[in-house]
Amino acid sequence: MTGHERHLSPFKDITKKIITLVVFTITLAFTVNYFSPRGIPVFGEWDTSIGVISPEKNVDHGLEINYVVSAKKIFDSGKAVFVDARMSELYKEGHIKGAVSIPLTIFYDIIDDFISKYPTSTLIITYCSGRECQDSHELAQLLIDEGYEKVKVFIDGYPEWKKEGYPVE
Amino acid sequence: MNNIFDKMLNNSWVELILRCSLGILFIYSSTHKIINPAGFAKIIYGYYLFPHYFINIIAIVLPFMELVTGICLVLGVFPKPAAAIINGMLTLFIIILTINLIRGIEFDCGCLSFNTSGDFTHAGWVIARNFLLLLSGLYIMFFKKRRLFCLYRNS
Repeated sequence: MTGHERHLSPFKDITKKIITLVVFTITLAFTVNYFSPRGIPVFGEWDTSIGVISPEKNVDHGLEINYVVSAKKIFDSGKAVFVDARMSELYKEGHIKGAVSIPLTIFYDIIDDFISKYPTSTLIITYCSGRECQDSHELAQLLIDEGYEKVKVFIDGYPEWKKEGYPVE
Repeated sequence: MNNIFDKMLNNSWVELILRCSLGILFIYSSTHKIINPAGFAKIIYGYYLFPHYFINIIAIVLPFMELVTGICLVLGVFPKPAAAIINGMLTLFIIILTINLIRGIEFDCGCLSFNTSGDFTHAGWVIARNFLLLLSGLYIMFFKKRRLFCLYRNS
C-alpha cells in the first residue's frame, strides 16, 4: 500500500473500490456476452411502431403484415389459412375465425398432420398476441423451414383483431 | 435487553450468516439471467420504464453485477463496497417495483426466475422482500467489528 492510499478518507476508499468492482463487472459482462452463443446485441429492437420487438434483431420485418385491415382483406379473400401460435388455452378462449392452432411448444408433434391438410403452396398467416409477442415470427420461420413458400406474420395478432370487431370464435 | 440487541448488532457470526445468505441469493438470482439474456431483456422491456437504448445493456450488465457482488460477499472480498452496490441495486429495484405497483401494471419481476405460467408474484410482496434484503445489506455495509472468513479483509 502506498503512502497516498494510506491517507485516503473512508469515503474515497470505498468509492474507489466500488468503481473498481463496477468497471471489472462491466468488462466481464460484455466479454462473456460477446463470446457466449446466447449473447445478445448491445442494442435490440424495442420499438413496436416498427414491428414485432426483439432483443436479438433477428426478426424478419419483410414477413410482417402491419395493418389489421390488410389482414382482414386477406381473411375475406378466403385464400389464406390463419395459424394461431399461442398456447392451446388461449386459443380455446378465443381465436380468429377458422384459425388453426399450432402452439410452438408442440410444433413438431402436429406439423405432419398440418402438412397433410394444407399443401406447402398454401398462403399461411401466423399470429399471436401482438407486437410484443415473437411466437408468430418463430412459427413462421418453422413453417418456412418445413417448405411453406408463402408465409406472412400478422403482427397485431388476436387482441387487435378482436378489438376491431372482426370474426372470432 | 439493550445489551442483547447491541450484541446482535455487533456480532461477527450474524454478519457472516447475513453476508453469505445475501451473497448466495444474489449469485442464485443472477444465473437464470446470465443463461438467458434475451429472456431477461424482455422482462426489462415489460417494466415499461427504460429507454429502448438501455434495455439490452441492462440485460447484459445487471446479472453480472449480481454475480460479482454476490461472490464478493460470500468470499469476503471487498465486502463493504459489494454491499454498497447491492444496496444501490435493491433501492433501485424497490423504486421500480413501487412505480409499477402504483401504475397497476401486472408484470413478471424476473427477480429469482422467469415466469412462464403468467401467474405473477404480487409486486407488494417483492417490495417487502427487497426491504428485508436491504436491511441485511445495510447491516453488512455498516458493520464495524472484525468480519469472519474474509479472503481480503482490508476492505
